[in-house]
Amino acid sequence: MSVRDLRGVRRHWVFMCCLLWFAFSMFPLYWVAITSFKRPVDVVGGPTYLPFVDFQPTLKAWTDLFSGIRGEFFSNFWSSTIVALSAAVIATVIGTMAAYALVRFTFRVRLLSGIAFFIVAMGGFLFGREVLGVSPGLASIVAFCIALALSIFINRYRLPGPVLGNDDIVFWFVSQRLFPPIVVAFALFLLYTEMGKLGFKMTDTYFGLTLAYVAFSLPIVIWLMRDFIASLPIDVEEAAMVDNVPTWRIFFGIVLPMSKPGLIATFVITLAFVWNEFLFALFLTNSKWQTLPILVAGQNSQRGDEWWAISAAALVAILPMILIAGLLGRMMRSGLLAGAVK
Amino acid sequence: MTREDPVKHFFLWPAVLVVLAIAIFPLIYSLANSFMSLRLVPPRPAKFVGFENYIDLISNERFWQVVQTTSLIAFTSVAFQFAIGFAIALALVKKVKGADFFRISFLLPMLVAPVAVALIAKQILNPTMGPLNQFTSLFGYTNLPYLTEANWALGSLIAVEIWQWTPFVVLLLLAGLQGMPEDVYEAAELENASPWSQFWGITFPMMLPISAAVIFIRIVESFKIMDTVFVMTGGGPGIATETLSLFAYQEGFKKFNLGYTSALSFLFLFVVLAMSMIYLAILKPYLEKYK
Repeated sequence: MSVRDLRGVRRHWVFMCCLLWFAFSMFPLYWVAITSFKRPVDVVGGPTYLPFVDFQPTLKAWTDLFSGIRGEFFSNFWSSTIVALSAAVIATVIGTMAAYALVRFTFRVRLLSGIAFFIVAMGGFLFGREVLGVSPGLASIVAFCIALALSIFINRYRLPGPVLGNDDIVFWFVSQRLFPPIVVAFALFLLYTEMGKLGFKMTDTYFGLTLAYVAFSLPIVIWLMRDFIASLPIDVEEAAMVDNVPTWRIFFGIVLPMSKPGLIATFVITLAFVWNEFLFALFLTNSKWQTLPILVAGQNSQRGDEWWAISAAALVAILPMILIAGLLGRMMRSGLLAGAVK
Repeated sequence: MTREDPVKHFFLWPAVLVVLAIAIFPLIYSLANSFMSLRLVPPRPAKFVGFENYIDLISNERFWQVVQTTSLIAFTSVAFQFAIGFAIALALVKKVKGADFFRISFLLPMLVAPVAVALIAKQILNPTMGPLNQFTSLFGYTNLPYLTEANWALGSLIAVEIWQWTPFVVLLLLAGLQGMPEDVYEAAELENASPWSQFWGITFPMMLPISAAVIFIRIVESFKIMDTVFVMTGGGPGIATETLSLFAYQEGFKKFNLGYTSALSFLFLFVVLAMSMIYLAILKPYLEKYK
């Protein structure tokens, strides 16, 4: 027992306060769980609290849900699952690769080539659309490629102006979280629509939605994994290097297995983020790849106050996250997330 | 240690390319649009208008009201989240009875989809058949307009934000508290420092950098609030609870006024950036003092 632990009467007071907060944070979840088993009359007739005591539970809402009377429930559930799992896997893998590169290697990016990218991309797009009269989709692809090629090319030369290092690149990634997603979601919707006109269907496709989620999970992944990889001992890698093991084998054979706890934590956090995400799904999907949050959000406006059915649908979105809460709670206990907050 | 190997580019570039194409390029695209007068319904060809969209917005009263509403929700809810979250994290690190159990259950709200939270809140806050109404009727207040009167609706939204995001504060502050050295407290105990002065003299100053980061993250995230408002009030009554994201959504998706929406998004971005700068500037002396 450490000196910081609570003793005596104070311990009981704090315990009571914790119980109070527990009641506050659990009541809504309890409420949604019991409501999904209520008959309509038990909902409309005023609040009822205990199953079998003041209302008779029924499975009606759940059988309705699973029989598909209430919209394309299974389709939404599967698209949510597939998109969330694949986006979390892809983001964790490429984010970890980037984090590894940023910890173990030096990168130098000249500020001027970054600015060049910005100017050429925007100018090229406007020029193509306004002057040459190319369709916006084509103009943006061409402008993007030219800007990227040019900025990589001029980065080789000694340009005036500051040179950005690894920390700046990490900051660049992380600062994406600062941008309100609506800024990008709306522009992305327009760009995807333009791509659709060119023949690449992006809106309401698996590819389009997953790609957007990968891009928006990457900042968190890189932020978490960079600290984790930096804390790994380097001697094993050095020993492997002496034996001339190629870098990609060091990464997949040594670094990845060693960072398993960090990978799991990052994966789980990304998964929760994508599973619950609403805005991008709202903009980028309309029928086939619509995710659960969209279905859940639409329940109320479509059917009014059928709370028993709404609760069942909401619970399906909540249940997988309860498992994840258990996992995260365990990791917190082992102090695994401590490194991330430094 | 850093070493040289051309393979490093294959490790970094996939991530850079995805972010460039999906996050940065749309931003550039939308910046270009923000100087245009561009409409899809009714279709109007693109025309360069310079800063006209921005000037329109700045002189639009609705925009300023929306900024005010968003800031009110963000700052109030984050203040509560931080105070409550700090208290809970302290209780957990001081091994209150059942700490292991509380730790997992306190996390839960954070992981529930905001749209689901909003729907649950709507049931509980229902003015006639909700449990909260029954509870307040015990004290003689019946059928309060939780979501249909401007101030009540704002309060309800703030309460929901507190419910959902206090766990995030607990999660990070607890990690910070667990990493604090034990010997400082042992020394304080020897000198008979009261728990109160131990908190203000040791815990709080040492936690300041993490606290600053947590508050920063929460405020930035709160400014993006959309799902909860979208489902709970739809911005109503009137536009009393409309937030920046919702305003942009209405303009863009209901009116398809692209140039205007893009300009709005950039002003939004500008508001967030300006706030971050002010926040960091205010905080800097304190952070350096305790370093």
